[in-house]
Amino acid sequence: MKNKKYDIVIIGSGFAGIAAANMLVGKSLSILMIDENFHVGGQLLRKIPLELGINKKYKPDYVKKIGNAFINNLKRDDIEILNNTSVIGIYDNNEILVEIEKKRVASIHYEVILFTTGARERYLPFKGWTLPGVFSAGMSQVLMKSSGVLPARDVVVGGSGLFLFSAAYEFLKNGAKVRSVLESTGISGKMKMLPVLLHNFSKIMEGVRYIGKIGSSGVPIRFNTRIIEARGNGSLEEIIIGKTDRNGKIITGKEKIIKIGGFAYSYGFVPNIELPNLAGCKVSYKKELGGWVVDVNENMETSISGVFCAGEVTGVGGALKSVNEGETASISILERFDKNGSLHGKKKQLLKDRKHHLNFAKYFNSLYGIRDEEISEIPDDTIICRCEDVKMGDIREAISNGFISPGALKTSVRAGMGNCQGRTCGPIIYDLLGAVSGIEGRNFTLFSNRPPLKPVKIGSLINRS
Amino acid sequence: MEDLRINSVERKEKVTIIVNGKEVIAYIGETLLAALIASGYKQLKKSPVLKENRGGLCGMGVCYECLVTIDGEKNVRACMEDVRAGMEIGIEE
Repeated sequence: MKNKKYDIVIIGSGFAGIAAANMLVGKSLSILMIDENFHVGGQLLRKIPLELGINKKYKPDYVKKIGNAFINNLKRDDIEILNNTSVIGIYDNNEILVEIEKKRVASIHYEVILFTTGARERYLPFKGWTLPGVFSAGMSQVLMKSSGVLPARDVVVGGSGLFLFSAAYEFLKNGAKVRSVLESTGISGKMKMLPVLLHNFSKIMEGVRYIGKIGSSGVPIRFNTRIIEARGNGSLEEIIIGKTDRNGKIITGKEKIIKIGGFAYSYGFVPNIELPNLAGCKVSYKKELGGWVVDVNENMETSISGVFCAGEVTGVGGALKSVNEGETASISILERFDKNGSLHGKKKQLLKDRKHHLNFAKYFNSLYGIRDEEISEIPDDTIICRCEDVKMGDIREAISNGFISPGALKTSVRAGMGNCQGRTCGPIIYDLLGAVSGIEGRNFTLFSNRPPLKPVKIGSLINRS
Repeated sequence: MEDLRINSVERKEKVTIIVNGKEVIAYIGETLLAALIASGYKQLKKSPVLKENRGGLCGMGVCYECLVTIDGEKNVRACMEDVRAGMEIGIEE
C-alpha cells in the first residue's frame, strides 16, 4: 500500500468492482481495490490459477468472457490492488481498517468508497445439514473451478433456483455422478418467466445449455421435491427426500432414501450488506431483490454522500446487472471529481438498461426461494446457528417468550454470536421471524454490525500501521 | 484413499503437507480446503457446544466451518489458505 489516503476505494473485485475499476482508471485519480480472495474476479470468474496448472476443459461463456476482458484490460499502473485483505471496520471520518494478508492491520482514508461486496448463499436448514458431505452448491463450484477438485464423486443437487442446474452441469462436466436434481418449486411457475427472459437472451441460452446437458445425460430432475433429512455416522451417507405440495409442505408417505456421498444445495443468494450497513447506509427489505439490500439512487449512491454501492449488494440480479451498476457508479463518481468528460450519454443508456436487469431480477427472485411454509416445518432438533449450536426448538421457545427481534434472539439464545457473525444464520433468522412469529413486512432491525466485521488476529492488531 | 482431483486439470507442482501427523499429497495453487477434501478429509472441525463433526459449507470464507490449525495457528479457514509445501495441519478429532 503506497498511500494513506485514496480518492477512491473499491471493496470487492467481482463483476461490479472490476467493471467500475476499468472505467475509473486513467483519470489521474488514486484508486485502491480491496478483495478478501487471493485473485481478482469474485465468485463468478473463478478459474484454475496459473500456479496450479491448466484446465483443458475451461471454456468461458459469453458473460465470463466479458468479465475476463475486464480483468485482462485493467491498467494495473493506475490502480493498486490488495488481495487477501479483509475490511474489519469503517468509521465516520472516511476511514476503513483492513487486515492485510492476515498479518497486519492498516488504516486507510478515502474521498469516495464503492462497495461491490456481492452476495453469499441462502440456506434453508434441514435435519442433518451440518453433516460433513452436505455443502453449498457454491462450495462445489469453488472447489471444481478454482482447485480442480470434486467435493464428492456421487452427488444429489437440491434446493431452488437456476444455480442448481449450473452446479449440476459443472459436476457432470467434471466426471461426477449426479443422481438427481431436486427443485423445491413446481414447473408451472417457470413458464411465466419466459416473457421476461426474452430481454435476457444470454441468460436463457445459459439455462438451456445447462438443462440440455443435464437432460441428455439422463439425470432425473424432480420438481416439487426437497430434502427432508441428511444422515450418516460422522459424515453424510444417505438423504431422505420428499414430495411437496404447492406451498412447499412435505406430503407424508412419499419419502425416499438415496445413498449418496455428497449433497450440494442452494436456495439462491443473500446480498452482503454488512459493510455498508456498518457504514450507516440505509438498507431495506425487498423480497423481489433477494431480501435485505442497500438502498441506492440513480447514481448508485447510498443514503450517505460519497458512499456508493453496485452489483448484488443492491439486489440479486446476476453478472450483467453488476457490470451495469459498476459502470453507472463509476460515472457518478467521476462526475463528483469533475472528470466525467463525455460519459453523460453512456450513463443515460446504462440507466435504461438497468431497468431490464431489475425486471429480470424481480421475476427471478419471485419464482424461486424459500416459502414461509418450508421454514415453519423445520423440526425442533435442527441446528439453525451452526457457530453456536443453536437449534430451531431453542429459537421457537425464545420467540414464544417474546424475543421477537434478531437482536433479542441473539442475546437470548446466542444465535448469530459466533465466528461467522450471523452471516449464515442471520438471513434464516430474518425469514424465520417473518414465518414463525408472523411479523409482517420484516419490520425489525437487523443484527447490528460492529468492528471487527471478521475475526482478526491479535498479532495483526499489534502490527498496526 | 480415493483422490477426488479432476483429470482434465494438468497440475504442475506436487508437494507434501502433513495432516494430523500423516503425509498427504497436495498441489501448489489448490486451496487447503480443496486439498483436504481431495484426499478424503471431509470433517475439519468440531462444533463448539455439541462437539459434532463439521466440514466446509460455503467454500468462500463466510461460514467458518472449515477451521483447522495451520503450523500451530488455530482457527484458520482452510478455504482461504493456499497449499504450501510442508505445512502442518491439525484437524480436531
